[in-house]
Amino acid sequence: MHIPDGFLDVKTCITTGIVGAGAVAYSLRKTRVSLSRRQVPMIALTGAFIFAAQMLNFPIAGATSGHFLGGAMASILFGPAVAVVIMSAVLIIQALIFQDGGLTVLGANILCTGVIGSYAGYGVYRLGLIMLRGRLTKAVTFVAAWCSIVSAACGVALLLAWSGTFPIGVALQAMAGWHSLIGIGEGLLTALAVAYLTERNVDMEGLQPKPEVTPT
Amino acid sequence: MSKPLTVTGNKRKWIVMAIITLIAAGIISFFASSHPDGLERVAADHGFLDEAKKPSWTAWISGYELPGIAIPILKVGLAGIIGVALLFLVLYGLTSKLTRREEEDHVGENDHHPS
Repeated sequence: MHIPDGFLDVKTCITTGIVGAGAVAYSLRKTRVSLSRRQVPMIALTGAFIFAAQMLNFPIAGATSGHFLGGAMASILFGPAVAVVIMSAVLIIQALIFQDGGLTVLGANILCTGVIGSYAGYGVYRLGLIMLRGRLTKAVTFVAAWCSIVSAACGVALLLAWSGTFPIGVALQAMAGWHSLIGIGEGLLTALAVAYLTERNVDMEGLQPKPEVTPT
Repeated sequence: MSKPLTVTGNKRKWIVMAIITLIAAGIISFFASSHPDGLERVAADHGFLDEAKKPSWTAWISGYELPGIAIPILKVGLAGIIGVALLFLVLYGLTSKLTRREEEDHVGENDHHPS
């Protein structure tokens, strides 16, 4: 779901460029506070994995393909601020080196797949954990990743509509429709990867999960 | 802290991830579907796919195919490996710079508070 140059009008490019830059600056500052040394290679490897997984387009219905995004995976593992940093790095390298996603729409891509994808995935994940009291984490992860890619797609639809490309209702329906199918792949891969890369918190064993949350 | 799961510190698992990443980018990428993705499909269906502008500049590895290589699987595979390596290096450099500054402020703070 990389927006190419030319899909968005000038006002949308400029606005998303400014907001996107602000979001990256905020995430970098937040990352600096929360990051620990041992996470450095893990974060680098997660970014590399997300880049690789994004190359693997899988066929879905109607001669259409979809690919993994990774915002939910990154934010569930490291929190949304680090996830925005990871996703921005992926998107910037894809745009600069591989010509995947335009330069004038880099802010829009960072905003949709980076910021919206990471925060939506993280929000749904935390909400699911609270509601199910820490049970069924794999199912919660699947749903969080599905919501992440569908809301990123809705973000793209809104920007397309704002650019006057096509009406907002049609845009939302078309983008959410296709990406609710692609979201199944996103959900499965995210659930697998997160299950493999996490372990039960030893301190929590035998304890009733507390309902209150202290995010990051 | 109500997080039931924490990111594993198991080195073997992360090495497996690295191997999976390299295989995915270096080999499986060649077999990826070339059908239009979700956004391209929507653009084609609603008649604005042609509005996508050809960039006015040429990226080093345009379209995930390393130029100057004849064998198709190597073209894609090497492009993927270069991308993976770039991301690892960029994120490693960036995040270690961010932690270094943090550690100057809080020397000796414990290493493992999950964020």
